[in-house]
Amino acid sequence: MFGLKIDFDQPYYLLLLLLIPVLWVFSFKSLSGLGPYRRLFALSFRTLVFSLLVLALAGIQLQKISERMTVLYLLDQSESIPKATREAMLEYVMKDVEAHRHRGDLQSAAEDKAGVIIFGREATIEHPPIADEVRTVGALESLFELRTDATNIASALKLAQASFPEDTAKRIVIVTDGNENLGDARTIARTLADSGIGIDVVPISLPTLAEIAVEKVALPSDIRRGQPMEARVVIENYSQKDVKGRLRVMRRYGNIDELLGGEELAVVLKPGKNVFSFEHTIDVPAGYTYKADFVPDDATADVQLQNNSASAFTHVRGKGRVLLIEDWENPGEFAYLIQRLGEMNIEVDVMPSNRLFTSLAELQGYDCVVLANVPRASGGETEKQETSNFSDDQITMLVRNTEQFGCGLVMLGGKSSFGAGGWANTELEKAMPVDFQIKNAKVKAVGALVMLMHASEMAQGNHWQKVMCEEALKVLGPSDYCGTLHWDDFAGSDKWLWSDTTGKGLLQVKDRQKLWLGKLSRMTPGDMPQFDPAMQKALKELIPNPASIKHMIIISDGDPSPPGPNTLPAFKKNNIRISTVAVGTHGPPGSTPLQNIATATGGKYYVAANPKALPRIFQIEARRVARPLIKEDAKGIPLVISDPGHEMLQSVADVQPITGFVYTQKKENPLVEVLIRAKDVDPENGTILAAWTFGAGKTVALTTDAGRSWANAWTGSEDYDKLFSQMIRYAMRPVNEEGKFTIATDVKDGKVRVVVTALDKNDEFLNFLNMSAAGSGPEMENIEINFRQEAPGRYVAEFPADKAGSYLLAVNTGQGNNMLLTGVTVPYSAEFRERETNEALVKTLAGLRPVGGQAGQVISGDLKKGAVDRLVASVDTFRRTLAKAVSSEDFWPIFLLIAAGIFLVDIFIRRVTVHFYWLTPALAYAWNRVRGRQIEAAPDERMARLRNRKAAVANQLDERRAAARFEPQAADSSGPPRDYEQVIADATAGGPAAAAPPPTQQPTATPQAEQDTYTERLLAAKKKAKRE
Amino acid sequence: MTEIAPQAAHSRRVWLQTAAGGACALAAGCLAPGGPQTGRLEKVWGQRGKTPGKLNKPRAITIDAEDHLYIVDITPRIQVFSTDGKYLRGWQTPAFANGRPSGLAFASDGNLLVADTHYFRMLVYTPAGKLLDSRTIGGECGSGPGQFGFVTDCAQDSRGNYYIAEYGEFDRIQKFSPDGKFLLQWGSHGHDLGQFLRPQKMVLDNDDLLWVADACNHRVQVFDARSSEAKVVRSWGRNGHAPGELNYPYDILLDPAALAGRPEGFVYLCEFGNHRVQKFTREGEFVGLWGKNGRGEGELDQPWGITRDSRGRMYVLDTYNHRVQRFRL
Repeated sequence: MFGLKIDFDQPYYLLLLLLIPVLWVFSFKSLSGLGPYRRLFALSFRTLVFSLLVLALAGIQLQKISERMTVLYLLDQSESIPKATREAMLEYVMKDVEAHRHRGDLQSAAEDKAGVIIFGREATIEHPPIADEVRTVGALESLFELRTDATNIASALKLAQASFPEDTAKRIVIVTDGNENLGDARTIARTLADSGIGIDVVPISLPTLAEIAVEKVALPSDIRRGQPMEARVVIENYSQKDVKGRLRVMRRYGNIDELLGGEELAVVLKPGKNVFSFEHTIDVPAGYTYKADFVPDDATADVQLQNNSASAFTHVRGKGRVLLIEDWENPGEFAYLIQRLGEMNIEVDVMPSNRLFTSLAELQGYDCVVLANVPRASGGETEKQETSNFSDDQITMLVRNTEQFGCGLVMLGGKSSFGAGGWANTELEKAMPVDFQIKNAKVKAVGALVMLMHASEMAQGNHWQKVMCEEALKVLGPSDYCGTLHWDDFAGSDKWLWSDTTGKGLLQVKDRQKLWLGKLSRMTPGDMPQFDPAMQKALKELIPNPASIKHMIIISDGDPSPPGPNTLPAFKKNNIRISTVAVGTHGPPGSTPLQNIATATGGKYYVAANPKALPRIFQIEARRVARPLIKEDAKGIPLVISDPGHEMLQSVADVQPITGFVYTQKKENPLVEVLIRAKDVDPENGTILAAWTFGAGKTVALTTDAGRSWANAWTGSEDYDKLFSQMIRYAMRPVNEEGKFTIATDVKDGKVRVVVTALDKNDEFLNFLNMSAAGSGPEMENIEINFRQEAPGRYVAEFPADKAGSYLLAVNTGQGNNMLLTGVTVPYSAEFRERETNEALVKTLAGLRPVGGQAGQVISGDLKKGAVDRLVASVDTFRRTLAKAVSSEDFWPIFLLIAAGIFLVDIFIRRVTVHFYWLTPALAYAWNRVRGRQIEAAPDERMARLRNRKAAVANQLDERRAAARFEPQAADSSGPPRDYEQVIADATAGGPAAAAPPPTQQPTATPQAEQDTYTERLLAAKKKAKRE
Repeated sequence: MTEIAPQAAHSRRVWLQTAAGGACALAAGCLAPGGPQTGRLEKVWGQRGKTPGKLNKPRAITIDAEDHLYIVDITPRIQVFSTDGKYLRGWQTPAFANGRPSGLAFASDGNLLVADTHYFRMLVYTPAGKLLDSRTIGGECGSGPGQFGFVTDCAQDSRGNYYIAEYGEFDRIQKFSPDGKFLLQWGSHGHDLGQFLRPQKMVLDNDDLLWVADACNHRVQVFDARSSEAKVVRSWGRNGHAPGELNYPYDILLDPAALAGRPEGFVYLCEFGNHRVQKFTREGEFVGLWGKNGRGEGELDQPWGITRDSRGRMYVLDTYNHRVQRFRL
């Protein structure tokens, strides 16, 4: 009733109530003096107090039962479901919520809630559960960041469980084909059922239409240079008829693409498996990637196009190849070096930084990678110019390529390299023999950066603002200064995100980077009304700041009021540039002020149409404050060779002074070899050439350039050729061709199987080798595997490959330095293998019976855009068949308080007599008043009673007097009046002895009595009476 | 003991006298006129949402002669409510990809003026939501006469002339004839008298004096723009968080007495930055305040607008709490 229920925290205390009869027995006797009514009252109250105490002890709780319900829709957006069906899901949700949700009114807010979670490889909230219809502008908003190449129902269930509000019944409606390939939905669903959460499932039936899938490209395990080999393409035709189409097989090595067979092949696929062979030879040793694509002539013959290509990778060893990555904004900067290396028989491929490698496999054809004065991010100087950067993944690939696969990594200096290139705090810094951030306070390599954040109105604004700030902060070194300004909603003013005790917000980074990253993750910038106060705040701290380069970045939609007339000149005067980034500006009035700010202070103006470009822009901008890391001296910086015996410096007679280099910090590691350093600079920071072994490979850092502007004195000499060729050869992957190993790989059922056959020089099996392998998956995740020997000379290992992409392995044969490289490509996600709905899972999930409720339902029907009404009508997803939400509130303190109050009443009843004599006259009075009678002055009853009593006593006295046989004594009427007490005493005494004579009267008859006390007289009178 | 007792009794008497005196003084103080007034909350309504009757960051509020509240939010819909929050009707502005309207006011003929901020124009709607295209003023971005930056608010005087305020590159107010012809403009970006930093809201009193909430200058400016020139006749307000100080006043409201120019009239300012409503005399003397930052009832989060019904009850747009609060001050 009223949705309330009573419950107890420790119900066994209620047994104490059995003591109530005992209480009655004892109290009944001890309260006997009170009279029947008071005893009854006292007993009742005492019982009540005791009962309340027991209830309080038992922890009485009031439970509120909520009638509300929350339904979360889990929409499977994985690629195994046709796109049209995925798009129809939202329509189904909108109509279903509209049809079945119980609405309340605005005041009570007692209405059902609905929310949407979408999932693929992971899950994300599309629409949080709120008490409203689900309305969106069409497409799913959070889909762009969801990876749809896998189905992870379990993660969606977990997210749903965490997202449910507390005070409602809970139901999940999963719209899926049930083909999960990550996680275990059954286990999670069972825990949900245990928490009372119901599950309905809308199964998606997959169309049984024509389907073609390129299964794999198979290459022989033992490829020899110059010998004919066969590449086989396996294509599966799932339909029942022949399908015509074109097959194209590309072979790629370095930047060269070749079409096998010279042209596209017109083929006819029979139902079932089809195999096509391409015979060819490999003449150039390198890493090769094969890719096969099938295009059907009739587009309707194939539903899913994603599974129409497959690829494979192989590696043919030969002489070393070098990949040189240069800044795409300064092409040809290293042309001289490349030409000289070519002369020294080292082949160099050049890759501009805006056309970077995308997989680790691409790097496998090279034995050394050179980063030649490349900044981490570049471009974006004008509105239309692209920005490019090394993504975190690409940096990890570079590092992995060295650490695990033994490839050399050389970093050549210049104005955009090392710390000055924004490479600080990256994986790359860890791989190099020098750190890019300067710890030495004497080196005045300090910059100051202020970021002003106002991007709250863009989609996912807070998320992107955090990402950008984090990227910028990572570029800065410990000596740099950084501050972040934002509009604080609560304070109603602009605030520094971090500040010291004096309120300063532009602080030296030192070791506070992690602390600040934490603050950034909690930042929620508000809607700034105007720029000026924040810019004044920044200016106030930037002007006295000791940094040699000061910079400010503003990100905004441009609608705050522009800065005041004196603000921008003040920035200009103090040589502080402001770069502005426009996101979602409201037309020209928004963008013009931002443009003006940048122009007036000499900064850059960016327009970010895609939020993904923002972190790149911030990296580029933050790099500006890293400029002081460059040391330049036109007069020449003399150098010292500290290790002339090193193989890089063999036969190098001398090194000429240079005119510039980038400051770095030598790593505190005995493995670091510093070969050349600047003479008059702190040895810690003046490294010119250093090297060390990093994992399976070697890395080299040259902090000056290759002769374009700083090391001009080196060019043209023999030493130049020797130094650079020896540097590259030192770093290159070692070539070791002893022993005969063949390696074969195969992908089946989401697993990769690697088979190594080991023979020695005499073709005898090599047994009991301690073989292991390490590698990287498509997302740069580590793969560690161990081999087991299955037969003489045959070693086998397996690992799961649930993601599409290249899996690269470096197999350590356990014999010397011999390392085998191999790669496997999983052409497409497991999603595209699925052909049928997983009905077993659908039924299991819907069949689970939640605690306190009924099992869910399978909502079957066609899910098509514009035709979801039947599906909506078939089941009420907001039906009340689940355990209602109960919220408990402790009630015992109130019970304790009431018990204390009643205890007082109990005492009152026992100590104070209450009568109701006044009741009747009061009623009478009231009655008279009501009837309007003249109220007579009511005689005071108490006085009347007193008078009556007095009269009665007087009568009694007279009677006694009359009856007494002693001499009458005339009362002296002239004497003083006798008081009432005396009269009573006299009456009780019953004789003349008690009646005191008037004081003036002389004692005559009983002189003895005059000396007696009152008691003696009383006793005497008593005796006399007895005698008579 | 005998010596101390009288002293103790004396001190007790003194204490009691002091306490009684203090209590009297306190009571008198509370009742005394002239102390800061505090408001009284009457009703809270509104919930976040996109469906009819729900609000999402409501940005401007106004009221018609029948005490119907017109509210525009960032979805952006113009919704009409009763004074108790009952949803009556609603409609959307023609375009909103660039941004949403941020000003509403009623014309003397009972039609609704909408400051379509990011489309550089003033729209005119009938109370039923029909757009009167022919009466639109502006639509072009620029600094020339009849062009606009971000339009913040519109108002119409007793002679039917329109005043349209804007901010952005050019903080100014333009005056147009009843048929939409440009008449006059004044103001520029700055702190001086007659200049503006985001003139966010305007009100015309019965004498056609224009009261402007100069938001980022944290002040009120009153102009006489009845002739061919606009003159500042009054200006007050300074930045701060203390009672009587202003922090981004986003809306201004004059009670009927203030509109009539009587000295007992009051001016109400709704502060975006201080999360409250303050009450001033026409001369800018602080009288009282209501509201503080928070999510509870009677608490505000960055309010954008305020209005008053015929019964003297006031409505504040509690923007970031997505609701309306009715109160008296």
